[in-house]
Amino acid sequence: MFGSGLLKGLAITWKEMLTPKVTIQYPDEIYSLPDRFHGRFKLDKDACISCGMCVRACPNNVIKMETETVARKKRLLKYVMDIKYCLFCGFCVESCPKNALGYEKDFELAQYKLDKVPLVLVDEEPLPPEEKERLEAEAAQKIAAAKAKKEASGGKDKGGE
Amino acid sequence: MENIFVNISGSIRELIGVLGLPPLFNEAVMITVKVTGILLFIVLNALWLVYMERKVAGYIQCRYGPNRVGPKGLLQTAADISKLISKEIIIPSGADKILFLLAPVLIFTPPLMVFMVVPFGQNMAAVDLNIGVFYFLAVASLSTVIFWIAGWASNNKYSLLGGMRVVAQMISYELPMVLAVLGVVMITGTLNMSDIVRAQENLWFIFAQPVAFLIYFIAGVAECNRVPFDLTEGESEIVAGPFTEYSGMGFALFFLAEYTNVMLVSFMAATLFLGGWLAPFGLTIIPGWAWMLIKVYIMIFLFMWLRWTYPRVRVDQLMGFGWKVLVPLSLANIFITGVAIKVLDKMGW
Ligand code: SF4
Ligand code: SF4
Repeated sequence: MFGSGLLKGLAITWKEMLTPKVTIQYPDEIYSLPDRFHGRFKLDKDACISCGMCVRACPNNVIKMETETVARKKRLLKYVMDIKYCLFCGFCVESCPKNALGYEKDFELAQYKLDKVPLVLVDEEPLPPEEKERLEAEAAQKIAAAKAKKEASGGKDKGGE
Repeated sequence: MENIFVNISGSIRELIGVLGLPPLFNEAVMITVKVTGILLFIVLNALWLVYMERKVAGYIQCRYGPNRVGPKGLLQTAADISKLISKEIIIPSGADKILFLLAPVLIFTPPLMVFMVVPFGQNMAAVDLNIGVFYFLAVASLSTVIFWIAGWASNNKYSLLGGMRVVAQMISYELPMVLAVLGVVMITGTLNMSDIVRAQENLWFIFAQPVAFLIYFIAGVAECNRVPFDLTEGESEIVAGPFTEYSGMGFALFFLAEYTNVMLVSFMAATLFLGGWLAPFGLTIIPGWAWMLIKVYIMIFLFMWLRWTYPRVRVDQLMGFGWKVLVPLSLANIFITGVAIKVLDKMGW
């Protein structure tokens, strides 16, 4: 019949109007994010060995890292992610050998001021020179002690062979 | 409840009468009160209708629609309007400045004038004109000229095309609309709207004149330039038609005028075909003016429902449908109505 299509269309929109709506009312309700959600980054400072794998993995040069070497050990000074260039591809997290880098379930990264955008995960002062010297000396002592021990036991080992 | 507005108007009249001023002055005050009342009604309704439209659109599209500003989003339109008021009115350099500014100012005049004869309830027409229907059709068609002014004065090809489309469309669809209304007028033998409502005491004219109602409804949608006949502002073709160059309050006025026109067409449909203030099934607990509003809102909802269901038609389809289908159909309707009236007359009805 002529016009039955028109009525069919009306019937469809009427039904659609009465179906329950599923829109999540964002600031009031928050969608429960899945476990693997790529959100704000978090860094386990103590687990990180400052190897720089994440810096190298990043396709967009998002991660800036500064380190200092104290007593042959790298120490993290600054770890800043310029999040406005980040793709949330996750390469950095994947490449981390110590699982130090991870995500939080937080996507509200918008800021009012541009200089607030970079994510500062670590920001520490370099150690004062005295402290550095003290640690170096300590480390040197330890090494010397270890060497001496090795030498002492080394003769024995040879003898045993 | 039934006579609440009539009583209010009566007591205002008495109050002024006490002052002992000349009757001409009294009349002037009464008219001012009525115009203010109608203006308030129109503006509040237009604000509400914009909100309602967005809600209906949202629900049909499986969303919630505006729900942030105010409780349930009710203040959304007020916020939008205040934003539009605060905006700059930009006048294109090549535009005809006077006409360009005049069009949005005038656009509210025809609907407001027509509302003077609309019977909101029993004895509630501001002016009970004995040629009410004729007055409605005559004054409402003045809008065409104002849209054309807007399209012409903008000095923009999209505006001009939109203006031309408005003229073509409105004139084409006015014809079937008038012819459809004629069926009702033939039965009642009067052009007074209140009398037409009273004539529907036993049978609403939607049942006596179903074809006329359908034609009136379709032509009404086209007269209001609403989907599926919104060619005048088909955004994919001509940006916004005659409103392309308007910004700020100019645009807002056109926008509100569209809703006022929708309201007007719905009021006319309720008056001519749906029994106006008469209560169906003897439900007289609800006062007449409330029935009128209920019927009008059902019509308005129908308009919105159509809008969010159908796509826009093409210009040639629009014109072809108007002239090749609606006009002959309405002429046939008049013919059949005339014959039926004569036959029933002879049978002694
Ligand atoms: S998620 Fe991708 S783009 Fe973002 S910091 Fe990690 S590697 Fe770079
Ligand atoms: S890859 Fe992991 S351990 Fe290496 S610097 Fe980055 S966060 Fe630290």
